[in-house]
Amino acid sequence: MRYILAIALSVFVTSLSAQEKQFPKDETGKFIYYKVVDSLILSKTVLLERAKNFVVSTNKKTMKLESSTDTSILAKGKMIIDKTTLVAGHPSGEVSYDFVFEARAGKYRYWLTNFVFIPYQRDRYGNFVPKTTVGSPLEKSADKLNAGSWKDIQTSTYAKVAKFGDSFKKFLATDKKNSEPVKKETVSTKKW
Amino acid sequence: MKKFLTAIFAMASASCALAQETTTSPLEISGSVDTYFKYDFAKQPNIGTSFASDHNSVSLGMIDLVLKKKTGKASFVGELSFGPRGQEQSLIDASSGTSSFHIQNLYVNYDFTDQFSMTAGYMGTFIGYEVISPVGNFNYSTSYLFTNGPFQNAGIKATYKFSDKVSLMAGLFNDWNVYTATRGVSSIGGQLMVSPVEGWTAYINVLSGAGGGGYGTIADLTTAYQITDKFKLGLNAANYDINDDAGGYAGAALYPQYAFTDAVALGLRGEYFKYKNVGGVEGDKYTSVTLTANIKSGGLTFIPEVRLDHSGTKPFAKENGMAAPNAGQFSLAAVYAF
Repeated sequence: MRYILAIALSVFVTSLSAQEKQFPKDETGKFIYYKVVDSLILSKTVLLERAKNFVVSTNKKTMKLESSTDTSILAKGKMIIDKTTLVAGHPSGEVSYDFVFEARAGKYRYWLTNFVFIPYQRDRYGNFVPKTTVGSPLEKSADKLNAGSWKDIQTSTYAKVAKFGDSFKKFLATDKKNSEPVKKETVSTKKW
Repeated sequence: MKKFLTAIFAMASASCALAQETTTSPLEISGSVDTYFKYDFAKQPNIGTSFASDHNSVSLGMIDLVLKKKTGKASFVGELSFGPRGQEQSLIDASSGTSSFHIQNLYVNYDFTDQFSMTAGYMGTFIGYEVISPVGNFNYSTSYLFTNGPFQNAGIKATYKFSDKVSLMAGLFNDWNVYTATRGVSSIGGQLMVSPVEGWTAYINVLSGAGGGGYGTIADLTTAYQITDKFKLGLNAANYDINDDAGGYAGAALYPQYAFTDAVALGLRGEYFKYKNVGGVEGDKYTSVTLTANIKSGGLTFIPEVRLDHSGTKPFAKENGMAAPNAGQFSLAAVYAF
């Protein structure tokens, strides 16, 4: 019985915390998803190459590299926000964002900000397409009539961005295209 | 021809093989439900709008259910509607009582490349500004251009996307609005899409072949421009000539819309419409003004609307049944999209 109560409580707390997860704001008042990650194994150069590969190759359909230096990358991207029920749903809109990556020795940081939402509507062929070309900043406050659905969009975006962030971290840790150069061990006959 | 078909088959096979490596999207389910009340100022159905036809009645539109799935490069869309809007009010043979539903879309699509795709089946028409689904229109009542044009076209079409700003579609189609061709694959159609500046999209459409009233050609311009984040302007102009001077129509409609907030928007539809002369008999001319509000809360949209129509040939009726040049109506619709 105790176990059941504990499980029920943990499920309740998990679902509650999942519902409440929202973006924090940066100094300018914009939503931001900001992470600093320690990476002692990989060099700065490899991290940067992998981050670039993540943008221009793995996510070439949804991201566009804007600029890069020897320590940073700036890209723009967009992601589809789904209104998903238990088994099925449909896209409710797309969120465009700015993506920044910076690498240093032993660690890197990245953040997504400048989120702009464009709602989708169903066209005459049954496909979901952008309703307008003018988007709304995600941090804006909605009027009372649409406050609930706007909060759903913010929450869905956070979940999607967090998933994106996890996949980025995983990619940086595991991408095999840009690996550390393997040091060939040679046998020295001079020292013995 | 054999070489051409072999090439297409080879392309399809190669693309299918590649597609197997790509991911499958979840099944998309969406749709809408709509209901309305209309009061005609002459106390009888008067204005020839396709939907919202019942006077002084809380009446049904339809329930519309859409399924879509994409696997690799292949996808399908199936859209079924149940209710007056989707049956006898938009499907010609439903009045015979043999249909209990209407297929709005039923097609398969294959993306050979990111630029080139082919679609076959029964599809919403590419002609015109307004559509059958109440979710796709700002106004609840429909224009004369919509009512007299095609609703759906069954056929096969190829679309090539030159860029995000230009695409071209060409296809072969059955006659209008039928699941089975009555005069063979008798129409040829095309659509040029251009988007000269961000927010402005224009479609130039041509459909020639068997259609409403006989063989003819319809040329259509449908365009919309989101000028600011609050103001949008739409335009539809069309000309339909049936061969041997057997009729047709011409008209234009302007759609200015202003969003006061995310929840409240106001839109006007001003339309001029004329039936073509047949055998020396002059066709009726209509002017129509429709003022519509959209009040949104989540998936629900309330659509209050006032519409005033005029025609010099007095096709309307007064309350006492006498012919009248003017007609007016008020309607309030509720549309829920999911």
